[in-house]
Amino acid sequence: MCCTHSFEEVKSEPLSPPVSLDGIKGMKFFDPHVHMTSRTTDDYQAMADAGVVALIEPAFWLGQPRTGIDSFRDYYSSLIGWERFRSSQFGIKHYCTIGLNSREANNEALAEQVMEILPLFVYKEGVVGIGEIGFDDQTAAEEKYYRLQLELAKESGLPVQIHTPHRDKKGGTKRSMDIAIEHGLDPYKVIVDHNNEETVKEVLDRGFWAAFTIYPFTKMGNERMVEIAKQYGPERIMVNSAADWGISDPLAVPKTAALMKIRGISDADIELITYRNAITAFAQSGQIDEADFASVANVIDQSQKFEGNTILRGGQQPRIDKSSIIIS
Amino acid sequence: MFTYNAAAVKAILKEIITANVVPDVITWLDEERPLNTSFVLLPRKTGKAIVHISKEQTEQLNNNIPCFSVESWSVDRLGRAYLLLNLDPANKDEYFRKIENLFLAAEMSELVALYSSLPLLACPEIWVKRCSEGIRSNIGSVLEAIMYQNPYPAQNLDQSAWNQLVLKAFFTDKEIGKIIGIDSRANKDLAYILSDYAHERWAAKREVNANLWRLVGKFIDDKLFADIQRLFDDGNLLDRRAGALAISQSNYLPAKTLLTRYPELVTAIENKNLSWDTLTGQ
Repeated sequence: MCCTHSFEEVKSEPLSPPVSLDGIKGMKFFDPHVHMTSRTTDDYQAMADAGVVALIEPAFWLGQPRTGIDSFRDYYSSLIGWERFRSSQFGIKHYCTIGLNSREANNEALAEQVMEILPLFVYKEGVVGIGEIGFDDQTAAEEKYYRLQLELAKESGLPVQIHTPHRDKKGGTKRSMDIAIEHGLDPYKVIVDHNNEETVKEVLDRGFWAAFTIYPFTKMGNERMVEIAKQYGPERIMVNSAADWGISDPLAVPKTAALMKIRGISDADIELITYRNAITAFAQSGQIDEADFASVANVIDQSQKFEGNTILRGGQQPRIDKSSIIIS
Repeated sequence: MFTYNAAAVKAILKEIITANVVPDVITWLDEERPLNTSFVLLPRKTGKAIVHISKEQTEQLNNNIPCFSVESWSVDRLGRAYLLLNLDPANKDEYFRKIENLFLAAEMSELVALYSSLPLLACPEIWVKRCSEGIRSNIGSVLEAIMYQNPYPAQNLDQSAWNQLVLKAFFTDKEIGKIIGIDSRANKDLAYILSDYAHERWAAKREVNANLWRLVGKFIDDKLFADIQRLFDDGNLLDRRAGALAISQSNYLPAKTLLTRYPELVTAIENKNLSWDTLTGQ
């Protein structure tokens, strides 16, 4: 019963046109913010089919607070280990950003221990930034660990992926940028995430990268995104799905590209917004080599060539016939 | 302590690395720096190219550590092995703690380097649990680092851990012939475990890897013989070949009698046209 209200809300949405990704066939996409740990193998397959060749999984909270340091260690370790491997089985190159998220910065005793183990992880291969860090409630503890992690970013030369708050977004975004500047970070190395119509202008004017999360109900819709792309152009703008354990869409990037195409945005601009800009921003870590996208994808071809040996070095997962009632 | 001439092996590894990187990388490797940092940053210095090794170097390594090989290793993997050889095992607890910490925070290519370096580590007995843990991994390249070209498991694992390794190799479609010690550590328990596994696969109407019978042959008795008969009665040519090879390892009389009905297979085995190493290649 408790859910009735929100279901009615959903029902009353106007009918939308059906998905067709035909217009973007052959295009490649890079989703620079998606929490694959919370997603199924169906999502990986759908993303690969829609042209997603690489992604970034920012370190995040689990929907509930962790109670000990080992949970953090295992989580970071899974981002560079098991999840990266799982992704490779679908031909998608997996990167991550490592950081202490703002919500859990509020448990100071634990946050201290997390700060101690972060250097163990930020230099790992394929770690393309410190993230997602920043403000949630905008408490003093959040500010403290945000600042400490900006220093870590400077020391390690890594880009920063900033989470901006749901509440008081405009103020929180401005404050995040002020503090980054105060710590001497180059705005060109800072990606400010979860922007909207209210925040984008200042973020771009100050030289930061503006990321937009296409996420149903609570963040941006992709029609609004198309309007922003028309107004501001493609420079330093990128989109992501931030798909996680909530109602979200791991195909948000290709779907937004398809809608941009339908609404008359040029292929060159679409490529910048849904692929190239994210690479340019995060490759400042020195950890992204586009040639790796192809070699991860090639594992799939290789495994198909070797009869009777489908699992090569982390080869492809076999497809199941979803339309069949038989599971064998 | 080391159970082999660590200084000699270290010298060979250094020689191989030197031949495969630009000069200042070797200087960087030998610089004083916390192990954690060097170990993680290493590929940024060395790159990840596959190393070139001479025949002599391979032989020298083998003379020091039998069956150990770094062929087809990437240079970062080799560099990481070299870093581990810099550690002093005099204080065993400290030595264990330092390396175990690397395992705990390792990403995939670090895990590969660590597990394939097990035969190089001092005090082999303290890594048994770690090796057994590695066998539980579901990451293909990590399993291969333990299973292929790696003499550590056969020399150090107890029987149940060894059997787990072999069963896992079949589960994950690994190349059985590349596992060091695969024949010498065959045992009756394993033969029965693999027979059960084959029965499960048959019940599910799935294929059974013909190499499985390589580990059953020596232990054929009346129960296992029923499986071998099934290979000849219901199997394809590959199954019959595997069955024949298995019987050639056995002294069980009814099996010997069965094989006489297939003179062409007997001849192929005698002429060495058919062997476990060539079985699936044919």
